[in-house]
Amino acid sequence: MMIASMQGVVKRYGSQLVLDYIDLDIQEGEIIGLLGPNGAGKTTLIQTLTGITAFERGKVELFGQTENPFSNQNKEKIGLVTQEITVFEELTAKENLQFFAGVYGLKGEEKKKRVAEALEFVGLADKGGKMPTKFSGGMKRRLNIACALTHRPKLLIMDEPTVGIDPQSRNYILEAVKKLRDSGTTILYTTHYMEEVQSIATRVVIMDQGQIIKEGTVNELIQTVQHEEKVKMDVTDPESVPIHSLEKIAGVKKVIVSGSQITVISAVHSGNLDRIISIVKEYAGVLGIQADKPNLEDVFLTLTGKHLRDKGGE
Amino acid sequence: MRVLSTVKFTALRMLRSYIVLLLLLVVPIILLTVFSFILSGAVPESGVPYINETSMTQVLVFQLFGGSIVMSLIYNDLFTENKIRMYALPFNQTMYAFSIMMCGALFSTLLGALLMVYSQFVLGVMWQNWLWMIYIISLMAVLSIIVCLIFTFSVKNFKIAERLSEVYGIGFVVLAGLFFPMPENGFFDFLGSYGNPLTLSMGAIRDMGESNIGDAWFQANILLGAIIILFVVMLILGRRKIG
Repeated sequence: MMIASMQGVVKRYGSQLVLDYIDLDIQEGEIIGLLGPNGAGKTTLIQTLTGITAFERGKVELFGQTENPFSNQNKEKIGLVTQEITVFEELTAKENLQFFAGVYGLKGEEKKKRVAEALEFVGLADKGGKMPTKFSGGMKRRLNIACALTHRPKLLIMDEPTVGIDPQSRNYILEAVKKLRDSGTTILYTTHYMEEVQSIATRVVIMDQGQIIKEGTVNELIQTVQHEEKVKMDVTDPESVPIHSLEKIAGVKKVIVSGSQITVISAVHSGNLDRIISIVKEYAGVLGIQADKPNLEDVFLTLTGKHLRDKGGE
Repeated sequence: MRVLSTVKFTALRMLRSYIVLLLLLVVPIILLTVFSFILSGAVPESGVPYINETSMTQVLVFQLFGGSIVMSLIYNDLFTENKIRMYALPFNQTMYAFSIMMCGALFSTLLGALLMVYSQFVLGVMWQNWLWMIYIISLMAVLSIIVCLIFTFSVKNFKIAERLSEVYGIGFVVLAGLFFPMPENGFFDFLGSYGNPLTLSMGAIRDMGESNIGDAWFQANILLGAIIILFVVMLILGRRKIG
């Protein structure tokens, strides 16, 4: 079943084209990893999909409705985890959840139960009475997520939910997302951490400069750029290894010796790793082996000529 | 009306705004206490102790600043990064802003009433007509909120809106001649009388105390009229920014 769909959506801020004829379908139960560098248009896409930002051209369909897709009835089925932490600092964690649960129409015992469940889900069950000002960054992020969960949304939109937090909280959040996936929640997850997308997404959508430039499963995307395999070996005596023997192995394209390292470049799926190692081992000691395969970062680099994140910057 | 479910939390947020409570409740209590010591037993020819007039002025002066909490909450919820979450919620954002306004008016009136309770039961000030006093306080509270929101909706930089709201409060205290006498000319006479919410409210309370009911209502109705006109201005400006 189709949960949401964007067809030919165009959005400009002044003269700048932020969404450039976006076509995107989200099927029930999917976890879509929306990848893109800063300024790619990810947040604008989310704001357009949820009716927060008006668009210039195109069509948005939510839960089968195209006439009034951003009705309150549809908004009730969506949970939005914002990129910024948007909890009320003057309210306790529990009161924050009660606020949002109330707006989503939950009342009485049901509201109490859902609030307790949401706190438990994000690991803040014993912190319900505390003010967010007393929380660490990771705990605030988790509370931010819980605020979007009390009403059990059919479509959960998470806009960079792990920015600027410690690895422990990040893992906690990713585990929570996996649990939600297992419970059947459809998730649109934006990030520029490719390892997150690789671990949770059923489909990846890559955006750059307001356009969707590629989409598919992680493996499908990797295959589009996988033309060769590299084996790097640190050896004790590279001079003694007969390079011509390595070059004769089926599939090998090139052999490079650099210092104590021998790099063998082969055609994709040539399956010659054992043969390469056995030849090298005959003449020298092997200290370490590294077999490089492309990942999403390489896919992104190939498609856009950019890294997902600025190197060294978090 | 899902907005109603948020009212309790808006009230809690206001009650936990400790800086606001400090400025609009604790500071006037301290000032009233100090003045009561200074003016202890001082009674003019009219027979009404000085502290009565001073207390009334204090209670009303601080109402001029009551709109700050509302402008701060509305700005925080609907104009900062929180805006994205609030606009994704299944409720009417204009009604939400309106609920914050109503809460703020009640909150300011409550603070004014608390000052009255303190001054009557601790300092011995006699408030003659509690209902009228609370009505005037609520008019001042609503007016201050509307003026602060007009500033919020009119300028791009919230800091400027905050400064303007302070100018509104301090400006009318100065124009009322409470710090020093104002020059005597038509302009300052007007802004020290019918053109000043502080002098209007003080006049309305004084006249009601002296049984000049017609004059009291006349001045209160000028305040009410200003509220209605400025409310329309606020709606026009607010519609461009919210909803």
